[in-house]
Amino acid sequence: MNLCELKGVQMRFPGPKGQLKRVLEDINLAVRYEEVLCVLGPNGSGKSTLLRILAGLLQPTKGEVRWHGEKLRGLNLSVSIVFQTFALVPWMNLEENVRMVLRARDLPEDEVRAKAAAAIQKVGLEGFEEAFPRELSRGTKQRVGVARALAVDPEILVMDDPFSQVDALTGEALRQEILDIWSDAENNPSSVVLVSHSISEAVLMADRIAILGGTPSTIRTVVENPLPRPRDPRSPGFLRLVDHLHDIIASAELPDVHVTAPKPEMAEDVIEPLPHAHTADILGLLEFLDTQQGGSCDLFHVVTHTHVPFEKVLTIVKGAEMLELVDTPRRAVVLTQLGKRFVAADMDARKEIWKAQLLELRLFRVVKDLIELHEGELNKDELLHELAVRLPMENLELTFGTLVAWGRFGELFAYREDRGVLTPE
Amino acid sequence: MLNRFIDTVWGQANALFAWRRRRWLDLLVLVALVGIMYGLVIVGREWTGGQRPTVEIDLRLAALPKYMLLSIVRAGVAYIISISLTFTLAWWAAKDPFAERLLVPILDILQSVPILAFLPPVILAMLAIFPRSNIGLELSAAILIVTCQAWNMIFSFYQSLKTVPPELAELADTYQFNWYQRLRWIELPYATPGLVWNSMVSVANGWFFLMTAEAFSQGSLNFRLPGIGAYMQAAVDAGDTTAKWSAILAMLLLVVLLDRLLWKPVMAWSQGFILDENLRPERPRSWILDVVRRSRLLRWIEEIRSEWLLKRIPRPQALRRVMPKGPEERRRAAGILAAGLLVILLLALAIAGMKLWNILALVGPADWARLFKAGAASLGRVLASTALATLWTVPVGLWIGLHPTVARRIQPVVQVSASYPVSLLFAAIAAWALKLKVGLGLTAVVLMILSTQWYLLFNIIAGAQAIPSDLREMGKAFRLTRWKRFTTLYFPAIFPFLVTGWVTATGGAWNASIITEFVSGDGRTFATFGLGSELQLATAAGSIPLITASSLLMAGLVVLFNRLVWLPLYRVAETRYTLDR
Repeated sequence: MNLCELKGVQMRFPGPKGQLKRVLEDINLAVRYEEVLCVLGPNGSGKSTLLRILAGLLQPTKGEVRWHGEKLRGLNLSVSIVFQTFALVPWMNLEENVRMVLRARDLPEDEVRAKAAAAIQKVGLEGFEEAFPRELSRGTKQRVGVARALAVDPEILVMDDPFSQVDALTGEALRQEILDIWSDAENNPSSVVLVSHSISEAVLMADRIAILGGTPSTIRTVVENPLPRPRDPRSPGFLRLVDHLHDIIASAELPDVHVTAPKPEMAEDVIEPLPHAHTADILGLLEFLDTQQGGSCDLFHVVTHTHVPFEKVLTIVKGAEMLELVDTPRRAVVLTQLGKRFVAADMDARKEIWKAQLLELRLFRVVKDLIELHEGELNKDELLHELAVRLPMENLELTFGTLVAWGRFGELFAYREDRGVLTPE
Repeated sequence: MLNRFIDTVWGQANALFAWRRRRWLDLLVLVALVGIMYGLVIVGREWTGGQRPTVEIDLRLAALPKYMLLSIVRAGVAYIISISLTFTLAWWAAKDPFAERLLVPILDILQSVPILAFLPPVILAMLAIFPRSNIGLELSAAILIVTCQAWNMIFSFYQSLKTVPPELAELADTYQFNWYQRLRWIELPYATPGLVWNSMVSVANGWFFLMTAEAFSQGSLNFRLPGIGAYMQAAVDAGDTTAKWSAILAMLLLVVLLDRLLWKPVMAWSQGFILDENLRPERPRSWILDVVRRSRLLRWIEEIRSEWLLKRIPRPQALRRVMPKGPEERRRAAGILAAGLLVILLLALAIAGMKLWNILALVGPADWARLFKAGAASLGRVLASTALATLWTVPVGLWIGLHPTVARRIQPVVQVSASYPVSLLFAAIAAWALKLKVGLGLTAVVLMILSTQWYLLFNIIAGAQAIPSDLREMGKAFRLTRWKRFTTLYFPAIFPFLVTGWVTATGGAWNASIITEFVSGDGRTFATFGLGSELQLATAAGSIPLITASSLLMAGLVVLFNRLVWLPLYRVAETRYTLDR
């Protein structure tokens, strides 16, 4: 029996235009006793939704959550969450921040005080009790977040990307402390569920790593991490596992099959979604490949060299690939012939290429036709409505923003923000 | 004995202040407490006392403190009613989507209507309900003040409830706060800065209206309430210069004291609830707040509370935990209650509407035509006063806002002048202007400017302070001329603020039109053609259909003007000239 289990969970939210947005599909995931489980996935892959279902804050539209083998009804009191943005109440001092959650559980006051003191002591913040959040560094704030979560004595400690807002050194220390607290087998939490962006963080902390992805999100795979603790990030075994995970994610997010090639069997009105990449970033990527890497580079080297987060690099690469400016054989990012010509060209010629490539994409052809259909003045709302029908899974405002930015750069159309209309350039 | 008591209360402040100063403060607090008690007692006596045909105002200086006290208590009671209304209505609107859809538009109209237009009908109605005691007059003053105070406070609280930062809302969800914990730990603190600011504005507004309500008289009908407003009016009527000036100075003293002893500390305290984590160097501070924070009394109360918490056995709410109601269920339960209340509200409105229709049917076409003409005249005056006020406030406001050192020195002065109820001075100024043979039409415009210029000045200062320094440096670096800088940079940047200022200023000017177009002084009355004087004449004649028609017409004009002129301008300002994107 598992501590907690998600069975066939599906989650849909009503979208802004009335359509249902599917976020999670057919999720089967168990949290075992005494383990650290890491959920890896890009932004918007429904990680937060998954956590909230686990905590009983959200009812899944399909499927169920089992807790100690029994179906969970309502809130799960044995799960507590550490938030990415700390969520400390700024007008309460550290001690009050921790006591508050215990008071919400209707514990007698002496117990509230004792437990809060114990939790604060656990994360090494005695002496800071009177400090207000604004006086604390981000790292210390997250320590308070951990203390608050531990105070209610949870069986599962859920951490929503807790170290991404904390500086590297403090994050390092905090990770180790969490592992120390968890490994004390006598006390709760029995298990830790960690959501993360960072592959090396996952390998450092987790016993198992679940990889989430796709629209709607599914569990792509669950990877076991057999490395003995304490783990050394420079050991060969560690590096091999990181590499293996890189491969899995790259092949899932950037399949070698050419995504933009028209597929005859595809329904007429379905459009490939637009990656939300800034034009300046795409240009930057091309320049980087050309001047510093001789035209090709490993995807993960781009991450380490440019200090841009993995996810963002992935989006930029996807965007460039969609415009056929780069190709991604396996994990490499390679400038295509067109890409090379693009980088060498001056600004006017670049815009020409860009415009021609945009018109290769169905989405931009549709927008251009729509503008003509509306006699040169396409209303934003009308376009959003059209997009909602054809791109049911996407965030419409973001897609619209990217669409306008790309179109403006290629001088394909202009957008008049004050009147909310698209016009031909 | 007294010393020992004072020591317990303020002992901790020892380190900060010399003992003499401390004693002075303690005595002041004690005097204020005793004064408020005394004031409550006399107001109570006034309320229950039988109605006198005319209120005799004692013009001796010794009587002035009593009148001040009466006014303070009236303002305080009205504020307490306003804040209670705020909590209930705003919370209801924020939590119940059904109520929200109905309440918000209703409140929106109510807040833009010139409330003073309803003073005569409300007074007549109240006198009809309570013919034999003063409670009718007191109640109409209270209703008047509440209706001018409550709306912006309600909106502020409602906005705060709707914009609680998502991570804090999520925190409350995750750790299962109940509604009360959510309100006390998250929502109320988050709403505090906005609520404090709006309270300040509302109370200043309240004084303006209280002065009017206390001094209100209509030909042979005398609706005066004993208070500083009535004292002033009596002084003007009697031509008693000493009494007049002492009333003006007393009010000034009151405003300054309120600013120092109440608003400054409260503002400084509310800074603790601002989410913005960057510590600004110019956080408002208040030495009184520092003293209170160090006071032994506060610690003593804290300790008692802490002890009480330890002894209290919390009511286990296990049931709530195991089977939390789904959001739909909760919504349905609240929905039934809300629907019931709303049905009652709608029924009341429908009945009132039918009554109104019957009354309005009595107004003839000739009367309507005159009223519309009067409305146009008043509208002209309102616009003229706003335009004139804009002319002087834009350059001055820009100058203050763009120079931080000037702003720091002038802001307190501006604040005090803005909270001074000019309505107290109206009668005196009008009497003086008439002596100089200036027409009342012109005087009315001047009085309107006096009562509305501050809204403009405040908004322009705020707008100028919000101009980013890089834009200002750009203007300097490219050597734009003064005029060019004004037209391309400063004016567009303050435009959204200016529109907000215009909306409030015209609203205030409409209110002022009611008391400035018809003035009594030196035993005579002067009127100029306008909707305000029509309303006053109708009140004097006791013609209920005309009163109703003219107050409704004024409300309608304002709402229409807001919708047709200010709202489109506001949209333009918001999309075209906003700086925060």
